[in-house]
Amino acid sequence: MDYRFLPKKGLSLFVDGLLKDFKVYGPVKMDGFPVYEEVSSAKELLLMHSPSHITPKKYLFPQRETLLRFKTGEKPQVEHAADADNQVLFGIHPCDIHAIRLLDRVFAYGTPDVNYLRRREKTIIIGTECLPDKFCFCRSVNTMTAANDFDLFIHDIGAGFLVKIGTEKGKELLFRHVKTRKATIKEISKLVEFHKKKESMFTASINAEPSTLPLIYSGSYDSPVWEEIGKICYGCGSCNLVCPTCYCFDVRDDISLNMKDGERYRVWDGCLLEDFAKVAGGHNFRKTRGERLRHRFNRKFQFQVDKFGGLFCVGCGRCSRACLVNINIVEITNKLIEERETGKKE
Amino acid sequence: MESPYLLRQARIERITRLTEKERLFRLVFEDDKTLGHVPGQFIMLSIFGAGEAPISVSSPPDTRNEFEICVRVVGSLTNVLHTLLKGSTVGIRGPYGKGFPVKEIENKDILLIAGGIGLVPMRSLIKTILLKRGAYGRITLLYGVKSPEDILFKDELDEWSKVPDFDLRITVDKPHPLWKGHTGVVTRYLPELKIDAERTAAVIVGPPVMYKYVIMGLGEKRIAGHEIFLSLERRMKCGIGKCGHCQINSVYICQEGPVFRLSDIRRLREAI
Ligand SMILES: Cc1cc2nc3c(=O)[nH]c(=O)nc-3n(C[C@H](O)[C@H](O)[C@H](O)COP(=O)(O)OP(=O)(O)OC[C@H]3O[C@@H](n4cnc5c(N)ncnc54)[C@H](O)[C@@H]3O)c2cc1C
Ligand code: SF4
Ligand code: SF4
Repeated sequence: MDYRFLPKKGLSLFVDGLLKDFKVYGPVKMDGFPVYEEVSSAKELLLMHSPSHITPKKYLFPQRETLLRFKTGEKPQVEHAADADNQVLFGIHPCDIHAIRLLDRVFAYGTPDVNYLRRREKTIIIGTECLPDKFCFCRSVNTMTAANDFDLFIHDIGAGFLVKIGTEKGKELLFRHVKTRKATIKEISKLVEFHKKKESMFTASINAEPSTLPLIYSGSYDSPVWEEIGKICYGCGSCNLVCPTCYCFDVRDDISLNMKDGERYRVWDGCLLEDFAKVAGGHNFRKTRGERLRHRFNRKFQFQVDKFGGLFCVGCGRCSRACLVNINIVEITNKLIEERETGKKE
Repeated sequence: MESPYLLRQARIERITRLTEKERLFRLVFEDDKTLGHVPGQFIMLSIFGAGEAPISVSSPPDTRNEFEICVRVVGSLTNVLHTLLKGSTVGIRGPYGKGFPVKEIENKDILLIAGGIGLVPMRSLIKTILLKRGAYGRITLLYGVKSPEDILFKDELDEWSKVPDFDLRITVDKPHPLWKGHTGVVTRYLPELKIDAERTAAVIVGPPVMYKYVIMGLGEKRIAGHEIFLSLERRMKCGIGKCGHCQINSVYICQEGPVFRLSDIRRLREAI
C-alpha cells in the first residue's frame, strides 16, 4: 500500500479542492456532540474524536429517499428517481468504513438496489483514526483498523498528515489538489504506534473470539436474557436508527393535494418497533420486545453472518450509547458467553 | 441498471365479487408479455398514492399477457383497489419468490389444505394440476372457512368436486343455519381421510394459527416432512430481499419462500 505525506497546511487546500467538484460531509461538533454535516472548509472538521451519534450511512442510504415519481390519471406515468450528487465523506472512522463495506454487500446481492449503488458510485470515502470512548468495542470484532474499502485514509501525525492510498480514484484526487511526498518509514510507523495506543484505550470488550459469536448467539435463543431486557426496553427503535449496519426500510407513497402527482419513497424502519413484523389480520410474529431485541442482536451476530459472511456488528457502540435504558450490547453478549461457559442460565 | 421498483402497467379487465370482502380481478398487461409465474409466486401490486402490497397470483401459468388476483379488503391499498372500476390501471412488479414444486409432486396423491384466503394461491396450483390431470394421483382438498358466506370460488369448487378422484371437503368453523356440510376446523377431518402416506404430497396454505395443528395432524398420518409444503405470510415492503420485514432468522420469505418444504423450516424458530 502506498503512503504519502501531506504537510499540515495542505489539508485545507485539499478540502477546498474537493469542494469544487463535490459536496463534502464530515464530522463537526454540534451542541457538544460529533455529528456528520456538510462542511465548507477543513477548519470545521473534527478529525480525531469518538464516534458520532448518528451514522454517516445517511449519505448513502438516506433516512427518506424517493424511489419513483409518478403522475396518476387515465394513463399513469412513472419514472425512476435516482438523485445522487458527487460527494466526499471525509473523516469516516474504521468501524463505519467496515459498515459501508457490509451495506455494499447487502444492496448489491441478488436484485441490486440501484438507488444505493448509484449513490455509492458517486461517493469518495476518506477515513480517519478516532478515539474510543467507554462504549466502543471495535477491537473485539476486528474492525479497529480498516485495511481497505476507503479511497484515502488520513492520519494526523503532528507535523502533517499520513495519507494512505486506497484506490486509484483517491490517489488521483489527492495528486490533483495538493503536493505530497512519499512518506518515510518513520512516518508510517506512527500509525502503527497509534494503533497500539488505541488498542490499550478500550474499556469495553467482548470476552470471546469474534468467530465464536455466531455459535454463542445460536445457542442462546432460549436464554432468560431476552425476557429480562425485554422488560425494560421501550421499543423506541433508537438502537436501529443509530446503527451503521441497520438497513431495514418501509416503502410509502406521498401524493400532492390535487391527487395528480406524487412519489414513492422509502424511510428507515426498525425491527424494535412494534408493527415491524405485523401482518394483515393483526398477527404479530415478534410480539414481545424481548423477541424483537433477540432478533436485532441475532441479526448482528448470527443471521446476517449466515447470509453475507462476517459479523454485522462493527463495534461502534452507538446502540448502547443511544439506549434510554442502558441496554448495552457488550454486556448482553458477555452475559450470553458466560451462560454458555458455565452452562447455566439463571 | 434498472430500478427494481419500476412497474408494468396492467388494466383491470374483469372484476368478480366473490364475497363481501374478496374480489377477483383479471388483469391484462399493457404490453404483450406474459407474467411468467409459477403457482405459489406473488407479485407486488401497486396503486399510486395508496401504496404497494404482496399479492399471490391466483391463476395458473398462462401464455397470454393476463393473470388473476383475488384480494381481501384489509387496509389502505386493498380498500382503494376495491373502489376501482373495470378499465382502471394498476402497477405490477414481479413475479417474486419460490412457488409450489409442481413437477416434483407429479405421480403423487395430492392432499391440499387451505384455510380462508389461503385458497387464493392454492387455486393457481389446483388449476395447474387439473390441466395435467393424468400426471397426478388422487386429489383431496380440505377447505376451511369461518362461515358459509366466506367460501371463495364456489362455482369452481363445484366443478372440481366433479373431477374424477377429486375429493372436496369444505368445513365451516361454527354451525350455521344455512350450512348442511361439515363443521369445525379443518384438522377435524384429517383422521377420517384415507391417505397412502408413501405416495402423498401435502400442501398447506392458511392463516398463521392453522399451521401448527395441520402439521400435527399430518404427522399422525405419517406424511414425511419433506413431502409437506407450506406457504408463509409475512409483511413485505420490497419483495427483493432488502427491506427486512419478512426475515425469519437468516431466511427471507420473499427470496427463499413463500413456499417452503416443512423439513427445511421445522427447526427454524419463529417460522410456524
Ligand atoms: C406472499 C404474500 C401473498 C399474499 N397474497 C395475498 C392475496 O392473494 N390476497 C390478499 O388479499 N392478500 C394477500 N396477502 C396479504 C396482503 O399483502 C396484505 O393484506 C396487504 O399488505 C394489505 O395491504 P393494505 O395496504 O391494504 O393494508 P395495510 O393498510 O397495510 O394494513 C393491513 C393490515 O396490516 C396490518 N398493518 C399494516 N400496517 C400496520 C401498522 N402500521 N400498524 C399495525 N398494523 C398494521 C393490520 O393488521 C392491517 O389491518 C399476501 C401477503 C403475502 C406476504
Ligand atoms: S449493533 Fe450497536 S455496536 Fe454494533 S454496529 Fe450496530 S450500533 Fe454499532
Ligand atoms: S434503544 Fe434501547 S430502549 Fe430503545 S428500542 Fe433499542 S434497546 Fe429498546
